[in-house]
Amino acid sequence: MIPFWAQDATHAMALLSTLMPLVAFLAIMLGTRSKEKLSAGLSIGAVAVSFGCSFLLLFRLWNLREPLEYSTRWVALNTVEIPFGFLLDPVSLLMLCIVTLICLLVQVYSLGYMAGDPGFSRYYAFMSLFAWAMTSLVLSPTLLQLFIFWELVGLSSYLLIGFWYEKFSATQAGKKAFVMTRAGDVSFLLGLILVLVYAGNLSIVEMNSPGFAGLMPSTMVTFAALLIFGGIVGKSAQFPLLTWLPDAMEGPTPVSALLHSATMVAAGVYLFARLFPFFTLSPAAMGIILFIGTVSMLLAATMAMVARDIKQVWAYSTISQLGFMIMGLAAGGYFAGVFHLTTHAGFKALLFLCSGVLIHTFHTNDLFELAKGGVRRLKIPMVALAVAAGALAGLPPFSGFFSKEAILAVLALSSNPIWLGAGFLGAFLTAYYAFRVIFILLFPPQTATESSDQLSGLPSAPKPSHHEGSSMTLIWPLIILASFTLLLGFLQGPLENFLVKEDKHVLLSHGVLGAWLPFIALFFALAGAGLAWVEFGRQGARQVGFAERVPFFRDLFSQRWYLDHFYRFFVDRVVDRGFSRLFAQNDNRVIDGSIDAMSRGTLETSRFLAFLQSGMIQYRLLASFAVMVLLSLYFFF
Amino acid sequence: MPRFEIKGALSMQIELAGFPYLSAILVTCVAGLLVILLLPEERKAEIKWVSAGFSGTTLLLCLYLFFAYDKSKGGLQFVEKILWVPSLGIQYFNAVDGFSLPNLLLTGIVFFTGVLTMWQLEERVKEFFALYFLLVLGVFGLFVSMDLFFIFVWYDVSLFPMYLLIAVWGTTRKEYAAMKLTLYLLAGSALILPGMIYLYAKSGLHTFDITALMQPGTFTAAQQKFAFPLFYLGFGILAGVWPFHTWSPVGHAAAPHSVSMVHAGVLMKIGAFGVLRVAIFLCPEGWQYWSGVMAFLAAFGIIYGALAGLRQTDLKYVIGYSSVSHMGIVGLGLSTVSVEGLNGAVFQMFAHGIMTALLFSAVGYIYDRTHTKEIGELGGLSRVMPVASFYFILAALAGMGIPGLACFWGELVVFIAAFKVYPVRTVVALLALVVSALFMLRVVQRTFYGPLPEKHAQLNDVSFSLGIPRMILAGVLLLFGLFPALLFDVIETASIPFMNGLPR
Amino acid sequence: MIVPFGHVLMLAGMLFLLGVFCTVTRRNLIMIILGVEVMLNAAAIAFVGAALHWQSLEGQAFVLFIMAIAATEVSVGLALIVYAYRRSGSFDPSSYNLFR
Repeated sequence: MIPFWAQDATHAMALLSTLMPLVAFLAIMLGTRSKEKLSAGLSIGAVAVSFGCSFLLLFRLWNLREPLEYSTRWVALNTVEIPFGFLLDPVSLLMLCIVTLICLLVQVYSLGYMAGDPGFSRYYAFMSLFAWAMTSLVLSPTLLQLFIFWELVGLSSYLLIGFWYEKFSATQAGKKAFVMTRAGDVSFLLGLILVLVYAGNLSIVEMNSPGFAGLMPSTMVTFAALLIFGGIVGKSAQFPLLTWLPDAMEGPTPVSALLHSATMVAAGVYLFARLFPFFTLSPAAMGIILFIGTVSMLLAATMAMVARDIKQVWAYSTISQLGFMIMGLAAGGYFAGVFHLTTHAGFKALLFLCSGVLIHTFHTNDLFELAKGGVRRLKIPMVALAVAAGALAGLPPFSGFFSKEAILAVLALSSNPIWLGAGFLGAFLTAYYAFRVIFILLFPPQTATESSDQLSGLPSAPKPSHHEGSSMTLIWPLIILASFTLLLGFLQGPLENFLVKEDKHVLLSHGVLGAWLPFIALFFALAGAGLAWVEFGRQGARQVGFAERVPFFRDLFSQRWYLDHFYRFFVDRVVDRGFSRLFAQNDNRVIDGSIDAMSRGTLETSRFLAFLQSGMIQYRLLASFAVMVLLSLYFFF
Repeated sequence: MPRFEIKGALSMQIELAGFPYLSAILVTCVAGLLVILLLPEERKAEIKWVSAGFSGTTLLLCLYLFFAYDKSKGGLQFVEKILWVPSLGIQYFNAVDGFSLPNLLLTGIVFFTGVLTMWQLEERVKEFFALYFLLVLGVFGLFVSMDLFFIFVWYDVSLFPMYLLIAVWGTTRKEYAAMKLTLYLLAGSALILPGMIYLYAKSGLHTFDITALMQPGTFTAAQQKFAFPLFYLGFGILAGVWPFHTWSPVGHAAAPHSVSMVHAGVLMKIGAFGVLRVAIFLCPEGWQYWSGVMAFLAAFGIIYGALAGLRQTDLKYVIGYSSVSHMGIVGLGLSTVSVEGLNGAVFQMFAHGIMTALLFSAVGYIYDRTHTKEIGELGGLSRVMPVASFYFILAALAGMGIPGLACFWGELVVFIAAFKVYPVRTVVALLALVVSALFMLRVVQRTFYGPLPEKHAQLNDVSFSLGIPRMILAGVLLLFGLFPALLFDVIETASIPFMNGLPR
Repeated sequence: MIVPFGHVLMLAGMLFLLGVFCTVTRRNLIMIILGVEVMLNAAAIAFVGAALHWQSLEGQAFVLFIMAIAATEVSVGLALIVYAYRRSGSFDPSSYNLFR
């Protein structure tokens, strides 16, 4: 009954790297929930094993030419066959390494962060579930298996976002995340069924093969591509389904780090990269996707400019960067998109983990409160935060610079210059809001700092409740990720060789702007950082951004372009008070009403007839005489 | 297999293939019923143990049948046939195939776990379990019977105890609900009976044997088109087909927990199974003719149930409406006229039965402790009863179609099959996935998350022994979610030959 | 025959109608039974007249039966009435409504 059986060492390693977290999850849920240390140890051990295996796999298959596929029969129906297996190719191997690395670091970090929480074991169980779902998603050989784990990723993020279930906002955010991504998933499922109906098969390798175009008419390919992209929109929080992601901050900070870097939201972009050749079959779909990516990138960047909550800023920046990746991919830059996904996973996890240390120490999410509390004294987290912000802004020598530059290079190749312009604008805004955070934190207004120093102990100024610098489990992941962020950019060449085996020269030419492109990009980034310095950093700055000075923009941006209002309106008024009420009333009034009216009618009629049955013998006699008379009249005349 | 015929003085013809396991299930139910009736009223513990014992025996028999069924051979197995009334051609004819086996197993599981769920019943224990056994006897009989006349008899046997079970042991508006349910279901049987007699008269074969009546050419296309809606609506009322579904939330909400479990878990399956076994088997051309209407009603029911459930404030009403929605998926699968549709529909019958039984079982525990089903009065239960909450949340997740739990497969296969035939209706039905996620999570959020009301702070979590029925159900949900092939392989032994045998 | 047959039938008919009227309208059980007796007698008169008219003895034999039945009916009926009166204290048949 066990359909999984290792065929060779590679297969065994793939099995180990995906199944270990599941084993940990089951063990914690079934046995060790009451023993916190053991649960955490199990979970971390499991993810460490899968991390080790995935790196071994990466080295082992570094020179892989053809994708390696293992599959076993899982469900075989008359016309639908659903195998279970693994597909090992460069992009999945790379992603597997990122996922397991980030999971491992975040779980180690959580040892310190979540210490003392009543749901400690549950937390690690869900983390393991998450790791299992994500690693299996990455290695899925068919779209259907991918969909299954896609849903499980959604489920585990729901559980983790709503982890503090006694907090209303947390459960609300979890629900919102699940339902909004579910809307995307339904679209994904439809696209998947569409492909299945035409191609009869959901193998990713076949969908990506050049012969696939012959199986489906091109309009159907466009349809299917857009429907599948709907799933990506939900998962990667692109326009218009983007508002769940900032709310997802309600979960514990390590969860946010995981969610925003390598797992939940990255799954969407990963799917895009995974099916990249399939998407390129439809230029029309690619155009629409490019547009949506651009819109999300810019919208989210404007939202990030005015947010006061440190995690919110990073959340918006996630949406923005994901939009950037999708732009890169949609413009045809396969490597650029995947490379940015890789670097982004590193620096975004770093951003969140650093913010986690700050929040953990000062118990507030508000930027200005944090600054007043004196976060600048936390040396290592602040340095790491600055490194990550530099990467986010695209400053050399951090990894973000290289990947962003790769994407801009691809955009420069496209025929319409508007995309490149949007890319530059995005780079400018990104640098602005990233350094806005850094400067606010580093340079609190002078008066505030003094007053907090003098009036220490007042509740208005949050004081560090833990030892400065916190425990080593919190710090080590930061150092590792920071060095990762520093080094990864220089691995661009080898990674490109690994991911794209042929045609790499196409990507190296830089279109009209030629070799100037990196410098222009750098110029925009520096301009953004400089504007942030002028407004927030320099002595006596008012610390009010240019967007905040115009009330219209301030409201528009901080209300997320009123998208949430629209959804609230839609769910409350249209779904809840519209259809739902209509149908519930229909049940009560129309259907039940008519049935009850029928029953009442029957009762009334029988009551009327019962009146005739008075039990008086004389009425019966009279009736029988009358009948006799009538009968005799009838017979005799 | 040995086949022998006995022609005795009573001129009874008996045809048996080995030990009569199917009759053994029915006899076990009857024996349990008799033993319960013979026990004195005050011996409540003994009555419960006897019930558990007999229902456990039926479960074991069902499990044996499920695994002993020869999948490579397929077709009808464990046949037992006795000519009961020769003058009318009524046979006591029992057999199982790939369609009835999953339902049989489902009934066994729900029956046993239902008895365990009512372990803490104190009021009129004897009568309760006696009626409960009678109810399940009818259900078992219907699933194994291959004779039209007996199907009708078993159908009514299973209806009769429902009224008393709800009206005596029920909760919210129980008399109203019991009466409503009985009237609806009797209306259903009032449609089935003429259909049955019509077919019996038109066939001219002088038999109620389904295998004989389903031979192609027995009925003309016009006859099938006439008879199909009778059976479809007659059984469909029991399956909660929109717009004849309103009995189900009301009935579910009023019934005692284990009766809700049987009711939503199994009785609604009787309806769907009746549509399959009688309407579709006997009138395949009528089926093809009416399938578009079926698909419309089913798709609309799916979205309607989900949306109407969104506004309910009673936990059991919510589950009732989710049942309407899920049974719509069964209906959608049946309406596709394809192997995949039948596979998915039967799988969904099984999966929904287990899932909804788990939901009601979990709600039963919560209701017994908190004495309320109003969502507004609950909240934060995860803290005091994490295990009980876990069961409910697991079942709710299954209801949302999370992979890894059984319902996912039924829904997936049905949607794949339906999309090929009715793309627009399927898209409408798919939207219900979002809505059902919304309303299930809303219930979970308001019931189990958030702050805990003062008065519930002292409640105990479910103990190990009381958790057994929920454990079984959750385990089954996971097992068939991870290895759906276990069930699909059985169903395919029936669906592929059936579809191949259809006249094209 | 001195009296024409038609007149005999007329008398019997009128007597029968009187009996019907008494049975249907009176609220006293004894009067109802009296009415039934009157109807029986009307039938008897018709039978006697018919026997004379057709010169056949069957009619007179039937009258003997009728008288016997009338006697038993009155005795059983009166016994029931007496019992019912003791149970309910009334001769009114509408007060006997235990079954309603």
